[in-house]
Amino acid sequence: MTPTRIVAAAFALSALASIGLIVVYVLGGQPQAEGILLATALGAMGGGIVLWAIRLLDAPTIAKDRPSLASSEEERAQTAGAAELEQITRRTLLVRMLLGAGAAITAALAIPVLSLGPQPGRELFRTPWRAGARLVTDDGLPLRPADLALGSVRTVFPEGAIGSADAVTLLIKVRPSELQLDGDRAGWAPEGCVGYSKICTHAGCPVGLYRAEDHVLLCPCHQSTFDVLRGAVPTFGPAARPLPQLPMEIDDEGYLVAAGDFPEPVGPSFWNLTHEGNREAGE
Amino acid sequence: MRRTLLAALGAVAVLLLVVLASLAPPARGDDASLEPGSVERGEVLYRAGCQTCHGPAGGGVDPWPAIANAGEASADFQLRTGRMPHAGEPDDQAQPKPPAYDEQSIRDLVAFVGSLGDGPAIPDPVIDESLLQRGQQLFAVNCAPCHGATGNGGAVGGGAIAWPLTDASPRIVAEAMLAGPGQMPVFALPDDDLSAVATYVQYLQEAPNPGGFAIGGIGPVPEGFVAWVVGAGLLIAIAWLIGRRWSKPEGDEPA
Amino acid sequence: MFRWFDDRLGIAGWTRGGLRKVFPDHWSFLFGEVALFCLVVLVATGVFLTLFYVPDATLVTYEGSYLPLHGQRMSAAYESVLDLSFDVQAGLVMRQVHHWAALVFVAVIVVHQLRVFFTGAYRKPRELNWLIGIGLLVFALAMGITGYSLPDDLLSGTGLRIIYSAVISIPFIGPWAAFLLFGGEFPTEAIVSRLFVFHIMLLPALLLGAVGLHLAILWRQTHTQFAGEGAREDRIVGKAFWPSQVFKSTGLMLLTAAVLALMGGLIQINPVWTYGPFDPTRVSAPSQPDWYVGWLDGALRLFPPIEFTLVGVTIPSPFLPGVLLPGLAFGIMTLWPFLESWVTGDHREHHILERPRDAPVRTAIGVAALTVFVVLTLSAGNDVASLILRIPVEETTNLLRFAVVVLPVVFAVITYRICRELQRRELASLAGRPVAVRLERNEAGGFTPEDE
Repeated sequence: MTPTRIVAAAFALSALASIGLIVVYVLGGQPQAEGILLATALGAMGGGIVLWAIRLLDAPTIAKDRPSLASSEEERAQTAGAAELEQITRRTLLVRMLLGAGAAITAALAIPVLSLGPQPGRELFRTPWRAGARLVTDDGLPLRPADLALGSVRTVFPEGAIGSADAVTLLIKVRPSELQLDGDRAGWAPEGCVGYSKICTHAGCPVGLYRAEDHVLLCPCHQSTFDVLRGAVPTFGPAARPLPQLPMEIDDEGYLVAAGDFPEPVGPSFWNLTHEGNREAGE
Repeated sequence: MRRTLLAALGAVAVLLLVVLASLAPPARGDDASLEPGSVERGEVLYRAGCQTCHGPAGGGVDPWPAIANAGEASADFQLRTGRMPHAGEPDDQAQPKPPAYDEQSIRDLVAFVGSLGDGPAIPDPVIDESLLQRGQQLFAVNCAPCHGATGNGGAVGGGAIAWPLTDASPRIVAEAMLAGPGQMPVFALPDDDLSAVATYVQYLQEAPNPGGFAIGGIGPVPEGFVAWVVGAGLLIAIAWLIGRRWSKPEGDEPA
Repeated sequence: MFRWFDDRLGIAGWTRGGLRKVFPDHWSFLFGEVALFCLVVLVATGVFLTLFYVPDATLVTYEGSYLPLHGQRMSAAYESVLDLSFDVQAGLVMRQVHHWAALVFVAVIVVHQLRVFFTGAYRKPRELNWLIGIGLLVFALAMGITGYSLPDDLLSGTGLRIIYSAVISIPFIGPWAAFLLFGGEFPTEAIVSRLFVFHIMLLPALLLGAVGLHLAILWRQTHTQFAGEGAREDRIVGKAFWPSQVFKSTGLMLLTAAVLALMGGLIQINPVWTYGPFDPTRVSAPSQPDWYVGWLDGALRLFPPIEFTLVGVTIPSPFLPGVLLPGLAFGIMTLWPFLESWVTGDHREHHILERPRDAPVRTAIGVAALTVFVVLTLSAGNDVASLILRIPVEETTNLLRFAVVVLPVVFAVITYRICRELQRRELASLAGRPVAVRLERNEAGGFTPEDE
């Protein structure tokens, strides 16, 4: 077949595919058919044009001198407008005043950027957890230790703040004898129910993966691993801080409640997270 | 490099197939000729096949785990998916494989293990379309973190795999949630919620992929490979075809 | 018609010059064009998507045709993407073509940049276009990241969360900058509409403006060219723009669109319906960004848990891999042409390209940088690799930590050796052969040696 015929056939195929595309659309559409027909319409036309260029266009190789990019010194001198420039720059005072005013107007025009967000304050240091707040599931059900099976994990919130992004906590039940919590914290895990912030201390992803046999929490984003039995200290991956532990106790009706907010800021670190003053200021 | 990528993608595809193929379809014994499980027959099988590791009364022989309180749900899950008898070291993750026992033996063993202590009974989840939305919610909160949003499995660290759910029957799904086998936590949800999760898992297994080939359904990693190998690869090839030196055109007719 | 325009604009001379512009014939010069055509596809499909997307974080109840999410609360943004995928005719294909085009766009930009780098095409007088090229890469990445985040699904929301964490990790200004960018503590409703403004207005304006400048400078400076076939520093050899190059480029544009259309129709990408709406308390695994951000995500995964407090100032763990590393990488890329001419003392103009072997040090450094990039990119899939290869994630990670330090050095040394060896063989093959020099009479009456 001669190149002309092939190119003509390609264009015909393209037109057919385009018509097919219209038909498919009118009939209600089908993603795969649309993709194939669109690709055929475009591809056949593109291929035809390329073949036309390669087989039917006589395009001799030509050579040309490259233009010189740099201008002559004379031309540069004329363009620079030295005389006019001198006339302006000799008024030093005006030039300086203009620059100063320009800087001021830039600052004035830029300052509304601050409207984009509030000043960071105590919210980075606090969550909705308060002493006495019940732990509830996302269905709003409060939990007793007996509601949890050994080796189970639940995502819980403070009552009244379901869905809270910084209060979200993982409640895990282990054998109390296996826990190795330091000092006060040993008392924060009634009947083997231990609660840790679900927000990774590395980059803030929810630490949603619990390996029940190893008693570790794993973050799916960067594989930071935390030891549930030892206060969620990081054991692998890029996280450097333990997940904050929620102080918990049991209220009069037998439900799990918080004994206070997390002792440290939850989530990813920031430069002044050890400045406890910010935390107290909110109380 | 494209060759390497291509090879890598090929390896990915082959391995994925191996992974999927290694998941034994759980045997469903609805044959009427079978009897309900018998504790006595189960005990005989247990003495022969299980007690070396799990102890005469299911108390476990260190380092093997105690199963006295595992319950029928756990025993049924482990035996039906071929995870037990365990192959490998105590620390190795139990591998799904074709079941080692026939349907009647599984029933008998399950009955015996159930008689040892206090554990969850075999659940009976029902597939109920009206629970689909609830199932999606529960799956997103409880299952997707490890098994992936599409249920195609994931690596959860420590050498453990959250297995693909591509072949898991509703009963196996519900049993796993109640039993928490291996590294999996226990999800002791009410019956309706077990049915809801099972319904959504089945939906995932049967769901069509309206966009075309699912390329593994595990997110941006295969998408990136395809973008390079298929997309950039094809376009570079096209650029090469267009830009290479072609012999002088010979018009087939006078211009 | 031409007469009508020429009467008003006087464009005949200019047009004639343009049509006769010489385009050197080399297939590797087409990568930039392919990237440009991906951009054309992105704009075309993007306009369609913009007409349906709703940049609104307000919660609505889904009532569209994807059953598992029926009756769920979700942002209007996510709902509109579900509608685009299931209820707008041709919407799914448009979305998929757009997403594939974005992934391929950045890939082809990288290939183009590698070609420019390894042939020394950025040397004087083309440093400006190198700088604009870096800008284009940055804008393309920013377009990708903002676009990836728009659907407001669980995966993209997790990505945003990591970006927030990287920003907040910057010493002193981090919390303040993060709050300005997101409109408060993560998660915020404001971010969806902000991403939209960036993605469809500010960034496209910058991107298209920079593309225009890139092409205008190319037009002014003419193409570089490999040595041979009469090409010299002061002489360019190739085909005229019209008709050959115009035909080929038009064909290439249509074929590029065809490949992307085929991918968009046949290969499912980012099925947002499976991830579900974004909820900051949920996550799914594996969790990855699109490939071109993979190197940063990979760096975050490999980085050791180093976080320290100096005189009350905490340097968070994500700061070095998440902020300093990209800053350093783009800083070095930006300064590279100037660093090179400063080190080599070469301030002459170069229009003839070097082959990689002609500049072994540059080639070795480029290979080392590329190796770091590839290893880090692969690291973003460490959990997927573990799933497939059945190796514990910890081992995969440690292996990659080792590889990212050792492999660049090894590959750089090997590359340098190969370049040197190729040079040596070339010299050896020329030795003893009579070298013919063709002389050509020039206009001034003297003789100029003509290359073979």
